[in-house]
Amino acid sequence: MDFAFSSDQQLLKNAARSFLDEHAKPATVRLLWDDARGESESLWKDMAQLGWLGLSLDEAYGGAGLAMVESAIVLDEIGRAALPTPYWPTVLAATAIADAGTDAQKKRWLPAVATGDARATIAFLDGDLDWSPDATATRAEKSSEGWRLSGAKRWVPWAHVANVLLVPARTAEGITLFLVDPAAAGLALAPVQGMDFGTRWVHVTLDNVRAAETLGAPGSAAPLLQLLMRRGAVGAAAEMLGAARRCLDMAVGYAKVREQFGQPIGSFQAIRHKCSEMLLEVENSHAAVYYAAWALDARADDADVAASVAKAYVGDAARKVCGEAIQVHGGIGFTWEYDLHLYFKRAKALETMYGDGDYHRELITRMVSGV
Amino acid sequence: MDLNYSSEDRAFRDTCRAWMEANVPRHDLKTLDERKQWHRKLYEAGYVGMLWPKAYGGWGATAMQQAIVQDEMARIGAPPTINGLGIGFIGPTIIVHGTDWQKERYLKKMLTAEEIWCQLYSEPNAGSDLAGLKTRAEDAGDHFVVNGQKIWTSSGPIADWGILLCRTDSKVAKHKGISCVLLNMRQPGVEVRPLKQITGHSLFSEVFMTNARAEKRDLIGDLGQGWAIAQTTLGYERGGNSLGRVTRYAISFQQLVKAAKELRRNGRPLIQDSAVRAKLGKLYAELEVQRYAGLRVLSALSKGEGVSSASSITKLSYTEFEKRFYETALEILGPHGHGMSATADYEEIDTSSGEPGTWATAFLWSRAGTIYSGSSEIQKNIIGERVLGLPKEVRADRVKA
Repeated sequence: MDFAFSSDQQLLKNAARSFLDEHAKPATVRLLWDDARGESESLWKDMAQLGWLGLSLDEAYGGAGLAMVESAIVLDEIGRAALPTPYWPTVLAATAIADAGTDAQKKRWLPAVATGDARATIAFLDGDLDWSPDATATRAEKSSEGWRLSGAKRWVPWAHVANVLLVPARTAEGITLFLVDPAAAGLALAPVQGMDFGTRWVHVTLDNVRAAETLGAPGSAAPLLQLLMRRGAVGAAAEMLGAARRCLDMAVGYAKVREQFGQPIGSFQAIRHKCSEMLLEVENSHAAVYYAAWALDARADDADVAASVAKAYVGDAARKVCGEAIQVHGGIGFTWEYDLHLYFKRAKALETMYGDGDYHRELITRMVSGV
Repeated sequence: MDLNYSSEDRAFRDTCRAWMEANVPRHDLKTLDERKQWHRKLYEAGYVGMLWPKAYGGWGATAMQQAIVQDEMARIGAPPTINGLGIGFIGPTIIVHGTDWQKERYLKKMLTAEEIWCQLYSEPNAGSDLAGLKTRAEDAGDHFVVNGQKIWTSSGPIADWGILLCRTDSKVAKHKGISCVLLNMRQPGVEVRPLKQITGHSLFSEVFMTNARAEKRDLIGDLGQGWAIAQTTLGYERGGNSLGRVTRYAISFQQLVKAAKELRRNGRPLIQDSAVRAKLGKLYAELEVQRYAGLRVLSALSKGEGVSSASSITKLSYTEFEKRFYETALEILGPHGHGMSATADYEEIDTSSGEPGTWATAFLWSRAGTIYSGSSEIQKNIIGERVLGLPKEVRADRVKA
């Protein structure tokens, strides 16, 4: 039983921290917030160089053969920096191709992801606010010249920079996952401005869009999508954890130097107790994130429950911690100029993704009660 | 990072489970003698005093092994041991601060529960501000004469010995005038009055000391060192119950699910009500997080990493969770959560307090956790100062160094 990072994992964490401290300062994040594309090509190439993009991919495809714990370590640090990046949508989509793709599909996409030449994303949601694959409404029909997809995908992260979209659709065989070219005729992308300028969402409309390939056999996608949701949830939880710890650190730092009534405000129990409660939530979140990441890697019996626990728990915890950090700061924390809102908004955006708290709590009840 | 149990720990768990299945009493233990016999049996099997050094009659086991034993006891619903405070806190204090004579005289009988121990710390006017205690011990040559009142003493009526914090010097700063001495509870000057608590039972007592006698040879450490000794005592939390506690919650949770399947509303079981489902999902998520955090603490302990301040986080976390857990359970159960004796299978749960196990008792008991052993507010002060490094508060009684 060893809950601590291995020395390699600790090295990865330290390297990620120092890279992002230097290259993803709040000023950089703010530039990307104002950028039309919203991410940095040079940072993307740096992440490829650092091995982050291929972290979980097979060595045969230029990856490092690592898994969810390592991805969580990087995402924890990305969350701490509130770096706007299609990192997780791309890496998550790559795991789908690695799990279900043909040799040709893997050769086409995985080395390109690892080297930073391709970005990808998964279009989980249709019109209904329902993360279950059963709710898929987009339809695909087979014709003599291949598949044709029609429907509307909502809240697809970073679709505007993706080289390939993974689109679940309903077919005669059942739920099927398609590899779709975002430049295909009949496909329209409509960016949505959310409150977190570092999370770019896109509404994707498909009007009789041609898709050459399915990912996996037609009708077989539901279990894969559920697995991707679990991975996505744990990754999002890791990123929220990083954002929350950043907010805690900022609040504690501020409470030590900000004086009112002739004292540092951190000497007042009203503030100190709040900070202690925030630390409790951050430490519990750390346990939840890394337990779940390990459980996925180890294919533990409780991996499915642990993924939902992490997303449900950390979503609530991060919202609380980031919000209380604003409260500790008072007025300055409410300004655009002060950096707290970068992390507050990142955590809030992630809370809705890969299943929100209500969705995962329902899954937990179903799994543990059998009803 | 590897959260699999080691093969040694898995083998240890198998052995422990088999032993429990063969030896756990099939009936409730009613008398003190029966409880002592069960305790003694556990001790002889190597399941009591596990973290104590072998030289003092302990077993020199690991924190993980101790946690596994507690976990298996929770799983099978085994009766608790009886000298918990002695073995968990007072014995280790004697091991660290006591004389050879004291170790020889007291430790073995504590482990075997031949002598039961209690802790004489809190007073009516010294709760969170423990250093404000007023019980006096006056020097009378070869002994002290003790006068004062203690409260919230667990096991008071059955205790043979107590570890006492008392004021031996009222002229110095309040933290510096306190000494720690062992007190024989079986003497005319010591009167124990059971205290009826909100559960209707009496697990705590008030203790009145009127010209009671404490021997000089029973002084722990030096005069005036009592406060420092009490600090190490209070910090001697070793994560030993971190798994067993969560297993008890998990067993209770399964009883709650069972109730939600049997109780009906609007012509269907409660379990099909989305509001109930949301509450169950939230409870289970929090419960599992308690387990993950417990494993993290055990992992740190196994590497010999000190967790004295971190134990404040653990204590704050599980006691506050326990309140939310039983509050939510009673919201779901309605009047079925109020029975002081069970009328249906799902109304029966293990409160681990030794009291009759129903939801109502567990709900009432959950109010104790955030008060005893340093209230949640005290834990937050400790976390704020010692973990986060926030400045100390300005306090009227803070003495300038």
